[in-house]
Amino acid sequence: MVIICIIISTTLSSCESYLTDKPKSQITSDEAFNSIEKLKKNALLTIYNYIGGHEEGQGLQGTDRGVYDLNSFTTDEQIIPIRGIDWYDGGLWRRLFFHDWNAGEAPFKNTWNYLYKVVILCNEGIEHIDAYKTTDDHELLTLTTYKAELRAVRAMFYFYLMDLFGRVPLITATGMKSSEMTLCERSDLFYWIYNEFNDSLPYLFSEWSQFPNSEYYGRMTVSVAYFVMMKMALNAEIYTDDDWTDQVYPDGKEIQLKTYNSYENYFIEANAWQTVRAIQNIIKSFYKLSDNYSDNFDVGNEASRENIFVVPMDPQLYLNKYNYFKRSAHYCHGAAMGVGSENGPCATVSTVKAFGYTNHETQILDNRFNTNFYYDNVIVNSQFVYEDDGKTPLCYHPLAVTDFDLSGEEYEKTAGARIAKYTIDAVARNDERRGNNDIVLFRYADVLLMYAEASYRLGDMQNALGALNAVYNRSNYQKYDTIDDDILLCERLKELMWEGWRRNDLIRFRKFHKPYDLKTDSDHEEDAHTTVFPIPADMIVMHPDWKQNPGY
Amino acid sequence: MKKSLFISCLLLLGLGHYGYAQDSLSSVRYSFFAKEIPDSLIAHSSDQLPTTLTRIIDEKQMNNTNQVTNVLDAIRGRVAGLQVSVNGINALNAVRLRGTTSLTGGNDPLIIVDGVMGDLTLLQSIYPTDIQSFTILKDASETAQFGSRGAAGVIEIKTKRGQSGKLHINYNGSVGISVPYKRLEMLSANDYRALAKQYNFDIVDLGGNSNFQKQIERTAITHQHHLAFAGGDDNSNYRVSIGSMNEQEVIKGIGSRSYMGNINLTQNMWDGLLHIDFGMFGSTQEEQRIYDEQKLFYSAAAWNPTFPDHPNSSGAWDTYPSASQINNPNVLLDQKDHTSVAHASGHAKFTFQLLPELKLTLFGAYTYNSNELMRYLPTTVKGGGEAKRQMTRSEKILTSGTLALNKKWGEHAFNFTLFSEFQKDKRRGFGVQVNQFNNDIGGYDALAGGATRPWDGTTSFYECPTMVSFMGQIGYTYFDRYSVKATLRADGSSKFGKNNKWGYFPSVSFGWDLGNEEFIKNLEFFDDLKLNAGLGWSGNQGAIDNYTTHQLLEPNGIPSAGQSPITTYSELKNSNPNLKWEVSRTFNIGVSTQLFNSRLVFSASYYYTKITDMLYPYTVSVPPFKYPKLIANMGAMEKSGLEFSLGGTPIATPDMQLTVNANISFQKDKLLSLSGNYNGEELLAPSKSGIASMNGAGFHGYNSVVFQMIGEPLGVFYLPRFIGFETYHELYDLTDYQSSDSYLAGQAMPKVLLGSNISFRYKNFDVTVQANGAFGHKIFNGTSLTYSALTSLPLYNVLANAPESKIISEAITDYWLESGNYLNIDYITIGWLVPLKKKRILESMRLSLTLNNVATITGYSGLTPMINSTSINGTLGLDDKRTYPLFRTWSLGVSLKF
Repeated sequence: MVIICIIISTTLSSCESYLTDKPKSQITSDEAFNSIEKLKKNALLTIYNYIGGHEEGQGLQGTDRGVYDLNSFTTDEQIIPIRGIDWYDGGLWRRLFFHDWNAGEAPFKNTWNYLYKVVILCNEGIEHIDAYKTTDDHELLTLTTYKAELRAVRAMFYFYLMDLFGRVPLITATGMKSSEMTLCERSDLFYWIYNEFNDSLPYLFSEWSQFPNSEYYGRMTVSVAYFVMMKMALNAEIYTDDDWTDQVYPDGKEIQLKTYNSYENYFIEANAWQTVRAIQNIIKSFYKLSDNYSDNFDVGNEASRENIFVVPMDPQLYLNKYNYFKRSAHYCHGAAMGVGSENGPCATVSTVKAFGYTNHETQILDNRFNTNFYYDNVIVNSQFVYEDDGKTPLCYHPLAVTDFDLSGEEYEKTAGARIAKYTIDAVARNDERRGNNDIVLFRYADVLLMYAEASYRLGDMQNALGALNAVYNRSNYQKYDTIDDDILLCERLKELMWEGWRRNDLIRFRKFHKPYDLKTDSDHEEDAHTTVFPIPADMIVMHPDWKQNPGY
Repeated sequence: MKKSLFISCLLLLGLGHYGYAQDSLSSVRYSFFAKEIPDSLIAHSSDQLPTTLTRIIDEKQMNNTNQVTNVLDAIRGRVAGLQVSVNGINALNAVRLRGTTSLTGGNDPLIIVDGVMGDLTLLQSIYPTDIQSFTILKDASETAQFGSRGAAGVIEIKTKRGQSGKLHINYNGSVGISVPYKRLEMLSANDYRALAKQYNFDIVDLGGNSNFQKQIERTAITHQHHLAFAGGDDNSNYRVSIGSMNEQEVIKGIGSRSYMGNINLTQNMWDGLLHIDFGMFGSTQEEQRIYDEQKLFYSAAAWNPTFPDHPNSSGAWDTYPSASQINNPNVLLDQKDHTSVAHASGHAKFTFQLLPELKLTLFGAYTYNSNELMRYLPTTVKGGGEAKRQMTRSEKILTSGTLALNKKWGEHAFNFTLFSEFQKDKRRGFGVQVNQFNNDIGGYDALAGGATRPWDGTTSFYECPTMVSFMGQIGYTYFDRYSVKATLRADGSSKFGKNNKWGYFPSVSFGWDLGNEEFIKNLEFFDDLKLNAGLGWSGNQGAIDNYTTHQLLEPNGIPSAGQSPITTYSELKNSNPNLKWEVSRTFNIGVSTQLFNSRLVFSASYYYTKITDMLYPYTVSVPPFKYPKLIANMGAMEKSGLEFSLGGTPIATPDMQLTVNANISFQKDKLLSLSGNYNGEELLAPSKSGIASMNGAGFHGYNSVVFQMIGEPLGVFYLPRFIGFETYHELYDLTDYQSSDSYLAGQAMPKVLLGSNISFRYKNFDVTVQANGAFGHKIFNGTSLTYSALTSLPLYNVLANAPESKIISEAITDYWLESGNYLNIDYITIGWLVPLKKKRILESMRLSLTLNNVATITGYSGLTPMINSTSINGTLGLDDKRTYPLFRTWSLGVSLKF
């Protein structure tokens, strides 16, 4: 009997080792963060795979139904009309355009999940760095810079969360139960984010990201952080307002911000508008306007001295996708370029008109129109593109987007000017979704326009006009000689066409919840509750103590 | 591994000697061999009355194995509760025993061939003629014996062995011809032109007059051959067979070719002390599949019929880019989706009859599998072309030991069994993707002809799950009438975390042989009457992948940093270290009887299963979770059913015999719950989530038709109620749907299954008819919905009767929901046993003629109601433009025995 007992216990213990299956294609947490070099790769650089994306709702730009679409299809920048059998998509695009969405929309949930995924990855990365034991001074300094970079990236993602959803839980460490989480007010988030940037700035890379042999292209640098801080300061009236439905806004001149100057190591204390100007003054040391507007979007735009932050693209190396040409181009247009296209998004009529497009011989087009749009007859490789019959030249009709539902209309399939912007790269693969042109997220022209706007708010018309014209005059021979809200907003539309800032701009100019273009009725959003999206419905179900945003 | 095997043998031997010391009563020696029991099952011994209704289907009961191309066709319609869903001629889609067991996976039964365990793919390596018997295990106490893999039931196959005293050569062969006979009736080119004129829309008219559905079809030839040699004497025997199958599908270029071999040897040693079974079987298969069935059949039906059915002057097929959801079907046929599979397995079983009542069985099996996938999408389909190759290899080692003691003590018969099993399954694979090809000639055979290799196109994986099982069983029979059997199985799996590595699966069953009771005997009515009942636990681990319980990092991309590219790692999913088996608890009760000198056989059984700890990807809160889905054990579902089998031989004379077999099963299931609090985190599953959605032009997202709803059967239709048509366009008298709110409109899985087999023999001639039916479920006719909407003109062709119905929208309403009831006559076989005068060389010869897919009796208006009504996936209950053209197969078979 004793022997049997020994045999049984030996058998069971040998089973335990038999029942261990050591993975080889994956690694464990212990193996992933046990050296400085691995911390750099798996705690820090790993998050840069999520600036762009390749799946729906993932990535800041380039993919469908994510941050970019929420910022663009809710405005007059672009529209996806219903084209007969195509693009009804359960009414999503209509609800986005007419601000008739509800908390259950899948893009809200997916965008929330994406942004928080990166936030949590940053939290984990910071904890792995903190857990690494070393006494080597050089290593300690390196770890400090890694940590600062992660904190700044996290702050940037919180910026997007705060901008889109207003009130969100502020999570800065792992291991929290979801029942312990509460929603943080928008103004608290604002100041927290701003200070995170301030804290990180001393340790961030401080040159042009393409500085020879630099490895900071597409990464968080001082200028990227400053750009977001500038956006925050510019929109401070919106972001520090915890009740955005009362039509009462704080005054930017009253909002005091403390901004760290990482070059001269002191804190700038100034109001929101002054802060915008002060930051421009720092960024201008490293960035400037490119000679040509289109240089920033061409293949090889890595060389642009204007692009501050990009989603790097490489069809073989990176997973990032650029879906927007494919999504927009007419089927025959796509086919002529070897792309299976979807014939969807186009510019609204009011937008093409803003560029001077009237389809009359007398029209004077803004020179940026040609870079941004395919319109009228489509020409590929110096040849006309024909419709399916092979006889009718394909022609886009920018002014024909006269109804959201174009079904049965003459130009059902061809209405609207389409997205050109990024020159099509011949070696792009996967239906033109992966080109070589890096997707521009932040660029210096925007910095100048923000500077112009802040100067205008401060009453400094001279500097305001100077900055505005620097941008306008690069592409056009004319100059503005006066400046007002409409000119500023219109110039931002034209300069930053298809770049996903339109919602942010319209809200700041208090026009988002007002009628424009085909959205002629705004009675349901008079209180401006639509300027902030609802907390995704699932989150409210899982957190019964959370209060939904007002108006939803 | 070796160490543990050795130890487990010792363990069994040790226990064996313990038993030996106590026992010296004699029993019938070799009785074990006289009555073969299933290899991997220790259920019944010779002295033990069965406590379950195990269904063993032997060669005689099987369908025409010489002519079926799919192993399971041999028992189709023979087993109550068995559903086999097949696509085309040979592709086995899904197999269900007593319906669905899990929402996430592991729904196909465990397949065991001569003790070698595997999944459905294992069936491909067996030539149907080589099969001796099927054993279908579905009762509680039977499935519990397979522990964590038993929940979905077990199909056990034994292949043929040689017999003593006879030397034989058998040849079986058949030639078949498959002819498509029915496809969708779409507008002809001329009707299409006329309609364009009537409604005044512009069409692209290339002057053709084509039926692209017919163009992609062909008359397909199938031939198969099988040769077997067998012989033996009292102490040893052998059987060796080889076979080949060449099957064309009725779609151009699609088909498969396979070769199989099977060797079985048995030998008795040392005066019967040791009995050795040795076997090997293997196969290779080359298969060309349709790359995307829905796109091909959608394109063939909806492609502009005025396009010519030949390439244009420049040698290319005309394209129609605006019909963006489809492509020229001729171009689609150029897509290559090729699979090459090789399988080999060897197994040996040593049975030691240590004492008359004590037997030790040692079993070992080695299985090797390689699977290569080769795909090429030509430049005409995908810009630049795209080639993919993927190779997966697996090696599986299984060893087991069984010690069985049978002992009879007056009216008390005991049976003790101890069993242990070790299993290791090492799988490795890699794949590569290449784009931007120079030309379309070489495709996947000329990878260097492509210019780019995206980072994510190169993949590889490794996994090596292990499993250890121990089982003990006690059986007791009193007075040849009452028996009880209790089993406890413990399974340990490397897939699970430390806390849940082991799962325990008990079962108990009872049998009462009423036929031996005097009061029944006195009735002189029953030849046999048995009652049985059982209760058992079984598990399912098929629903989770390896390493799901580990917190692991995987390569997630190349971030932009520095001059030389580097990869980074990240966790790509939430991990759950607490995962465990899904548990199925089944209760079943049954009765079986034979009447009138066994001319009438009847059995009935009822089962109820409750599945708890259901694995499901629940929605969790982000944050604190990184990803929105977490696989966890929480939900519950139940299923129950009634099964009846009836077999009769109304006519039985030396010249004439009529046999009728029928079985019917009623089944229902219900999803009980799917949410709750898990370790303090609220887990959520939507009260209603889509399972199957419409695809195609105008159906992008938000078009679910079949849903999973709490408190309802798995897979229900939730649709807006159609109230009538409203006139949409006065001038053209076009109509649109009027509908009210959505409601629960029916279920997608059948409530009743029917199988029937009738055979009649007159002298040397015999006729067999096989029929199957399914009732009580519905089908959403998405094909008609899509092809009826006049809005899709002129880009997509419509049904010939669409202009009559004047419907202009593609709204999803219950207007398109139809009853899915059908009775299908699978085949009719006429056989002739050729009378041979001299039997010197040729011992027997049988000729047979079979017609497959004879007819379907149904009220369903689509092509066929035999769509996917069994598996929970994107096609459940939804007829959506992906149905094969209907075809019939005529085949002529010959069996020669030398």
